[in-house]
Amino acid sequence: MDDSDPGALVKAALQNDDDAARALVRRLYPLVAKIVRSHRPRRTPEEDLCQMIFIKVFQKLSQFSGNVPLEHWVSRVAVNTCLNQIESERVRPEVRHADLSVEEQAVIEKLATSSEELAPDQQLASRQLVEHLLAALKPVERLAIDLLYLQGRTVEEIRKITGWSAALVKVRAFRARQKMKKQLAEIWAKEK
Amino acid sequence: MMKNDNIDRLLRSAAQAGDESPVEMPFGFDTRVVALWRAAGSKANGVAQLLRRVAVLSAVMIVISTIAAVREANQSREIRESLTNEFAIADSAIQDEFLK
Repeated sequence: MDDSDPGALVKAALQNDDDAARALVRRLYPLVAKIVRSHRPRRTPEEDLCQMIFIKVFQKLSQFSGNVPLEHWVSRVAVNTCLNQIESERVRPEVRHADLSVEEQAVIEKLATSSEELAPDQQLASRQLVEHLLAALKPVERLAIDLLYLQGRTVEEIRKITGWSAALVKVRAFRARQKMKKQLAEIWAKEK
Repeated sequence: MMKNDNIDRLLRSAAQAGDESPVEMPFGFDTRVVALWRAAGSKANGVAQLLRRVAVLSAVMIVISTIAAVREANQSREIRESLTNEFAIADSAIQDEFLK
């Protein structure tokens, strides 16, 4: 069988071909793992969430029409599963100054005191700081920021992945940015 | 006060950091997923089969009960009709006796 043809793999998997089903898992794992890493709730291990997503994908496989690429369809299942999982945990920790590393605090200071771009050696700390800030947002807002700014996807791509309208993508990103801005201001006020 | 520009700079910097760790599928993950899928499928099939059996048995019971009820109703109507006829015969015989 041609492992590069997802349509053929789906058809074979639905006809109880376990080799084809395994080949599908191997093919889709990098995509699913990447989504899980971006949207994983804090208390669910990455592997468990990947497994949950794949089971869902296989259970709904007969509903895959083939009108959209398999990767898009799987992305949507993965994103929705992550959002549901985050929602079920209902934990949105407040970002406290004491929770931040020295490097993250330095990033905040640089942002507040200078208008220059952050230095390349501050990229990792920036990422960690953003992840701290994102953890306090609603899952949908977290997703909007991650897809739009961290992964650099277009509004059209996000619309396809999430099923939201273009206006909703922009509104959610705007609200998320406002909340992040407020959080940063509060941390900076405490730091001073 | 933090400006919008600060958030932009922070997000730009964070995006450049990316995620360096490689995406590697754990050993045996594919086999486990497929086995769990098949197991969940057969479990669901088992439940569906049980529900189907219960539904068929219930339908059979309803049909049998309905047939029995109709039959019972017919029999009691026949008995009632035959009794009515006997009463009518007896009644007319008594009236004939009186007329004589």
